[in-house]
Amino acid sequence: MRASVRSGKSPPGVTGRRGLAFGLYATAALMAVMAAVITPLSAYSLNLLMQAATYAIAVLGLTIVLGYTGQINLAQAAFFGIGAYGVALGTTAFGLSFLGALAIGVVLAAGAGAVLGLTSLRLGGHYLAMVTISFQTILTLVLTNWVAFTRGPDGVPNIRRPALLAESGPYLGLCIAALFAVAWFVWWLKTTKLGRAMQAVRDNELAANVIGVDAYATKVAAFTLSAVLGGFGGALFAGGFTYVSPDQFSFAESVVFLTMVLLGGAAAPAGAVLGTGLLILLPEWLRFLKVIYLAVYGGAVILIMIFMPDGIWGYAMTRWRRLRPARPIDPGIIAPLALTRETARADNSVILSVHGLSKHFGGLKAVDAVDLTIHRNTVHALIGPNGSGKTTLLNVLNGIVRPTAGSIALDGVDITRLPPHRRARHGLGRSFQNIRLFGAMSVLDNVIVAAERPRPLPALPRLRARAGRGDGGLECHALGALDFVGIAARAGAQVGSLSYGHQRLVEIARALAGSPKLLFLDEPGAGLNHVEKDELVRLLTRLKGHGLTILIIDHDMAMVERVADHITVLNFGKRIADGTPAEVLRHTDVIAAYLGEERPALSRSYGAS
Amino acid sequence: MALLELENVVAAYGNIRALKGLTLAVEEGEIVALLGANGAGKSTTLRVISGLMPPQSGTLRFAGRSIGGLAPGAIVKLGVAHVPEGRRVFPGLTVRENIILGGSNRERASRAELEADAEKMFGIFPEIKPFEAALGWTLSGGQQQMVAIARGLMSRPKLLLLDEPSLGLAPLIVQQVYRVIADVRRDGTTVLLVEQNAHMALSVADRGYVLETGQLVVHGKPEALWDNEDVRTAYLGGRRTQAGR
Repeated sequence: MRASVRSGKSPPGVTGRRGLAFGLYATAALMAVMAAVITPLSAYSLNLLMQAATYAIAVLGLTIVLGYTGQINLAQAAFFGIGAYGVALGTTAFGLSFLGALAIGVVLAAGAGAVLGLTSLRLGGHYLAMVTISFQTILTLVLTNWVAFTRGPDGVPNIRRPALLAESGPYLGLCIAALFAVAWFVWWLKTTKLGRAMQAVRDNELAANVIGVDAYATKVAAFTLSAVLGGFGGALFAGGFTYVSPDQFSFAESVVFLTMVLLGGAAAPAGAVLGTGLLILLPEWLRFLKVIYLAVYGGAVILIMIFMPDGIWGYAMTRWRRLRPARPIDPGIIAPLALTRETARADNSVILSVHGLSKHFGGLKAVDAVDLTIHRNTVHALIGPNGSGKTTLLNVLNGIVRPTAGSIALDGVDITRLPPHRRARHGLGRSFQNIRLFGAMSVLDNVIVAAERPRPLPALPRLRARAGRGDGGLECHALGALDFVGIAARAGAQVGSLSYGHQRLVEIARALAGSPKLLFLDEPGAGLNHVEKDELVRLLTRLKGHGLTILIIDHDMAMVERVADHITVLNFGKRIADGTPAEVLRHTDVIAAYLGEERPALSRSYGAS
Repeated sequence: MALLELENVVAAYGNIRALKGLTLAVEEGEIVALLGANGAGKSTTLRVISGLMPPQSGTLRFAGRSIGGLAPGAIVKLGVAHVPEGRRVFPGLTVRENIILGGSNRERASRAELEADAEKMFGIFPEIKPFEAALGWTLSGGQQQMVAIARGLMSRPKLLLLDEPSLGLAPLIVQQVYRVIADVRRDGTTVLLVEQNAHMALSVADRGYVLETGQLVVHGKPEALWDNEDVRTAYLGGRRTQAGR
């Protein structure tokens, strides 16, 4: 199973291979450090390597914020500068030890990153780019003009290194050791709960929210981590060159950092290191071209970006994956999906109670004073003409859209003011009309993101013990959800390679993995053929059998008639009918507004030819 | 000579072959339905015809001309309009602009002519007339589907490729869309239709092709397909649903 090997959530058999990989990595790191310490290098080579190693650490920060989380950061040089000035001023003006000054620099960078993130990450896109550029510019101005504190444009000379590593060779060894450690951390981060949340936010923020990921907190965490790595790289940089000045941390350097991560490939730490090495070494290699070397350098960068839009590492990985198909899943580790908690309470009490709910967009009353009562352990259908407000109503119930008026109570708890991720934790699950999966992640990872949110199942600890590793139980649970909808065999595939019908099933599995009480399905039957629709009907029946409550929107009346216990009809945002299928589907208003005169023919055509 | 001929067409996504030597023909003035399960290669067939996806091998001829490997823009100019699955309405343009853009292949048509044709589209889909000045993204899914079909019709195609036109539409609107498809043919447009709803598709089609894993399984007139017990059970949804009740 490629996904599990790559992300490290492994069934027991793979643990040994992971240990071996880590051993090899640690050995390579040790050898690189030794080589740096022992090999006599010219001052020129030492400077180049020192710059590459410290820059790479900052660029790895961009791997987190841009590559994993999909947020732009055009101020990485500013965080790099904060770390560098921390060491510069700490060891000179304040007489601190190198380590103490380094810690202060990193903490200041983290604080700046967190504040900037908290204030601007609700914006995103080009607004975020503008805010980060402004911050970058402000920092450059402060470094240049607050002469009394920063010593202004002259910069800070005579920066101290740690006593034991005062020589350049050993200090380079320290930088390389730090780089190896940071690269490992960034790789490991991708396989953690936070790392998966970041990728989910990158691929589809709305869907991430709805399955319980706090997208805003995740973005702030990514931004802060990126700033920490920027500050750490900068602190080591200051020690390496023993002199810093404001022009080393300008906006132009932020662009260089960004180019490095994009050139090498933002999706993996190896790409960041590769891109940094190349952009620092390439100009040196090209110097023999004399006057035209910069033009050739620029041209080479443009050509790489055109022909390898995912960066050099991304390009290599795509090629590699084509050669190696995904390994099949071991069915032995699939756990049966436990939806037991709800089964225990399968009475017919009210689970969702909606009163006077309205959502107005300007003059348009998309949802207009709707009352809705859903009983536990039923399938409740919401139907109505196109544009009658069905999806908007779901969005309000989910918390994606704030209501203009009205109240929503889930199991007696008022959730009207809760954000989507909190509602997921109260037991709301959802699939979308136009599929919203995390496109760059594997099928299994898509489901795991939802499975590891709160509302843990009682069965999890036992599974965890059985799988032997921390994440193993999670994987079993996610596979169980995929197995429930019948596509566990595709768990290792990239989600984008699945057909439309299968992607719909992954969405349902993802919602189920969050163990919801109440599941919203927005046109789950769209794009399915009759065999697949039969399977969907069976799936819904099984879910109901497990005690789940389902609110379904669909236009296939033959299917709705088969599965629904209760139907609510909307038209122009208003409820026009509510009752059992038998009552509602014969309601004259419903026939006029929605079903049409050919309704009997439709029903016949679905049942038999 | 058929209007559209595909011979041994092979197409692949990466190393996954989606079409494994498909041969089919569409005569001028016909409505032909492409049926089959998800992943059978129906949408891929349309994408290859409209040039969105280049075929790996095989020949495609439209009105006697080889179109394999031509750019989508060139194929549209020959008179092939593709209404893709998933609507693809331009979110930042108004409904009217979306529809008029569909006529951009008609280089000699005047603005007034296009406006008049757009009015005709609002005649066919009166539900979207109130939203003609609204931006594409503000429409509901079903309304976007209507805009996408109207946009395809605006190019006055010789051949209209429709990918799941009934997806996400209310029953009343589905009936309306199928009436439009029948009308379009009466006006001389040939239609190649991909549908999950075999009953709807075969109710208007002259012939149907059933695909499975990128290959042709069976083709014939709707009555012949219905009369074939195996085909009906496996691909069209006959007895099986009844037994499931």
